[in-house]
Amino acid sequence: MSLFETFTQQLINGLSIGAMYALLALGFTMVYGIIELINFSHFNIFMVGSFIAMLILQAMGFSGQAYTLTGLPLVGVMVFTLLATMFLTGMIGVLIERLALRPMRGVSGTAPMITTIGVSYILFNIVFLSQGANSKNFPNPIPPVQWNFGEITLRPREVILWIITLLLMLTLQYFVRYTKLGKAMQATAQDQEAARMVGVDVDRVIVTTFFIGSALAGAAGFIFGIYYNVTREDIGFQAGLFAFTAAVLGGIGSIPGAMLGGLVIGFVKSLGTMVVAEKWIDVVVFSLLVLVLMFRPTGLLGVAGPTKS
Amino acid sequence: MVETLRPDEDDAQITGVADKDQNDDLDLLAKGRKGVAVAREKGPIGRAFDWLESPAGKRIMVPVLIVLVIAFPFIDHNEGHVDAATNAISLALLALGLNIVIGFTGLLDLGYAAFFAIGAYTYGALSSYQIHPDWSPFWEPFRTLGLVEQLHTTAGDVVHFTVSFWLMLPISAIVAAFFGFLFGAPTLRLKGDYLAIVTLGFGEIVPIVARNTPYITNGAQGLNGVTYPTILGYSFGVSTRPYYFLGLALIAFLIFVSRRLKDSRIGRAWLAIREDEIAAEAMGINRARLKLLAFAIGAGFAGMTGTFYVAKLQTAAPEMFGFPVSVMVLVMIVLGGLGSVAGVVLGALILQLLQSWFLQDLTDWIHALGKLTGLSFLLKVDLVQSIELIFGVILVLMMLFRRQGLIPERHETTALSHAEQTAVPTRGDIKTALPALHTRKIDPSKPILEVVGVKKSFGGIKAVRGVDITVEPGQIVAIIGPNGSGKTTMFNLITGLYVPDEGKILLAGKSVAGMRPDKIVSEGIARTFQNLRVFPTLSLFENALIGGHPRTSNGVIGSVFHTPKAVREEAATREKVMNILSIFGNRLTPRREHLARTLSYANRRRLEIARALMTEPVLLLLDEPTAGMNETETLELTQQIRGLRERGVSVLMIEHKLNVVNEIADKVIVLDHGEKIAEGLPADIHNNREVLRAYLGRTATAAA
Repeated sequence: MSLFETFTQQLINGLSIGAMYALLALGFTMVYGIIELINFSHFNIFMVGSFIAMLILQAMGFSGQAYTLTGLPLVGVMVFTLLATMFLTGMIGVLIERLALRPMRGVSGTAPMITTIGVSYILFNIVFLSQGANSKNFPNPIPPVQWNFGEITLRPREVILWIITLLLMLTLQYFVRYTKLGKAMQATAQDQEAARMVGVDVDRVIVTTFFIGSALAGAAGFIFGIYYNVTREDIGFQAGLFAFTAAVLGGIGSIPGAMLGGLVIGFVKSLGTMVVAEKWIDVVVFSLLVLVLMFRPTGLLGVAGPTKS
Repeated sequence: MVETLRPDEDDAQITGVADKDQNDDLDLLAKGRKGVAVAREKGPIGRAFDWLESPAGKRIMVPVLIVLVIAFPFIDHNEGHVDAATNAISLALLALGLNIVIGFTGLLDLGYAAFFAIGAYTYGALSSYQIHPDWSPFWEPFRTLGLVEQLHTTAGDVVHFTVSFWLMLPISAIVAAFFGFLFGAPTLRLKGDYLAIVTLGFGEIVPIVARNTPYITNGAQGLNGVTYPTILGYSFGVSTRPYYFLGLALIAFLIFVSRRLKDSRIGRAWLAIREDEIAAEAMGINRARLKLLAFAIGAGFAGMTGTFYVAKLQTAAPEMFGFPVSVMVLVMIVLGGLGSVAGVVLGALILQLLQSWFLQDLTDWIHALGKLTGLSFLLKVDLVQSIELIFGVILVLMMLFRRQGLIPERHETTALSHAEQTAVPTRGDIKTALPALHTRKIDPSKPILEVVGVKKSFGGIKAVRGVDITVEPGQIVAIIGPNGSGKTTMFNLITGLYVPDEGKILLAGKSVAGMRPDKIVSEGIARTFQNLRVFPTLSLFENALIGGHPRTSNGVIGSVFHTPKAVREEAATREKVMNILSIFGNRLTPRREHLARTLSYANRRRLEIARALMTEPVLLLLDEPTAGMNETETLELTQQIRGLRERGVSVLMIEHKLNVVNEIADKVIVLDHGEKIAEGLPADIHNNREVLRAYLGRTATAAA
């Protein structure tokens, strides 16, 4: 394999996992943008999403990679699983916000973050106790064909997950920019007090943000499953850490930033393996996080606002 | 009615402080009637805890507890129980360290186990056969010191490290603290939230590094054959008992250090940062430095514990130091009470009991119930497996329903007696109360504050567009202007919260523009905040003590060991607080043990001024000092402010009540839209056309 081919192949891989990190990073960045909270439960909403998608596919009779579909049935199954997963994880997000975080509104200090850690731990252990601690074979109805360009391989699953990600991001952009609720969201992110004064229902905005963020995490979980053909109860930790790094890299609070950051992290992770051993990649990404925070804490696309006194 | 130029509603009405004409001392009573947790009935458990916390309870319980824990291994001969207790001690040690970071300073450290690992491997690697370089004469002096041995192997002579446990205990603490410093330094300047994620990442990579560097750590298999400690020829060996007692000694030491630190200049600065970072900075506290100190000390505790733990276990493997350990320690301090030293130890004890005994028993009991009732799902319940789920539930429930933990860091003080409440407030007389407010020599011919052409914009908004302000020594200068005219922004620029885009800010001829806020406080500018930033869960007295931070110098060593100098300084600071509180007559002094959040609005304003005066300012910036006060109180405060001038403190104040301005201001500056539109004597300002336009032109109806 020539260097160019390795590079292109890693680019394809990077784009795929980067898309997943970007979807996950969006949830972090949106919630942080609105209520300035690092939502640690997001780590495991992602993981729960991949389990929900797996259970939905299994319920429809898919198991392992044995049974595949093509054409319209494939699109139908994918769209249904994706939307059902997103709806369910979205509702989990809503539930978390209503039950655990709304009572903490206005509480300063570490308490809200500690709450989200607790929630994250609960989600993790529910899956761990009910599903057991071993890798699960993720049902994948996508035909295992592959297209070869020289030594470079491209598989349908990659194309499908790019399409899913692209569509979700375009929808999100449309929602945030052109709908009333989306504009209310932007207003709330800039200044909650002012938004309230002009009649924005801040509670509704916050709950919507949690719904959207968690739904996107669910989509990322689904993508994880069809990309790796496997899921496990502990996938949330590393993915969450990487996605958060992506959000910080892009500029926390910035939606385009999270998308960009996700792709960058995806490329770092895939292209990085050309330079350092795979076992050191976590250390590389973490160092990147620290370096960004040191030298450009506002990220690539973020802007610093005035501190409130 | 108070004469006011301000077209908008008064602050007091906005924030909902009622009874403006009533004496504010009655506020507490009023709150009590409305049922705001002043004297809520306590249940039996609450009362039991109260008794334990009372001096009488402590006199009895503390010696009883000490005797019990020392006697425990002699009473219970079950080696397994003593071992579990020793593990509980290790966790309590970790919890005590993390409590300094999270509980005292409010920094969420999620990778605390990493420092535990660093301490563990530091000792483990230097007291096992893991690292064995070839023998060379270089090692000869170390052999003389007893740090290494020469080992004969078939492949030639190699070095065997045999550094003493007792030497490694402080060394590992220092090594871990160093790493804490290294990783804290880049991130602690940022907002607290980022620290959580960085420490999470750090906690994740340290075990990875341990796994990937088998030369030092033996990788995933873990270190083997770590030497056990010996003391005076007695070897600890594999028996648990000596470790139990050593652990107790370490606990006693860490409790001692924690308590001494908490009740010191350093500890109070940590608490201030936890309560309100911006207000802490305005008290001259160098946030980054003190956070780093807390982080490093916490890491040091963990490093020491790591050494202890590895010595007891004689092995160290990467998975012993993962995220679950950090969470478990977090659960302990959340359960016991963030910031509460006794609570943290209790939390560690409860969790260990839960894990070692209670959950197993409960599971057996549920299984028995399942067999009895034939409910098969009960047979599947395994609570020991679910321990982490229980941790998660504990975290969420504690945060939602009992954030202060089982043994809260501090209690609500009982409200004042009726007699104290209704006592006629005496007006403090600043002239007799104080020796001096500051000791600086001020050149009376030069202005104390010179602001020249200062500009500041936020994005497209030009908040301040080229303002000049001069305050002569001993002057009281008032800034007035409609809302949004840039008054508070001006204050934030002078005190360093914002850096001006252009222009000069000189304090007694020295430029302070762009200086860190805490440096500016040291230079002699103190401030109060419009929206009140007292430290809510600290007592009034502690709030005021924190103001003494920039003028005192006690460090960690002095605070822990109570050196004569430290004791003297602390006593002097406390006396100074009493002097400054007496400025406000009997308004504040009788309430000195009250938590600041329980004080009335007016008293919190007074406390902010007292706290600012503790920093010995030459220039005091007051942001709407009389907002929310009734006429009598306003008059009282007006006289007190005038008293400050007579004690050599110049004052720059934002004020809306014109009678206050007329009464004490030597000069009035009017801002509008970030520009100075008028300046002069109060009487002249009244008739200034521009000023009238700025106020009346906007909302004529409100001003009418």
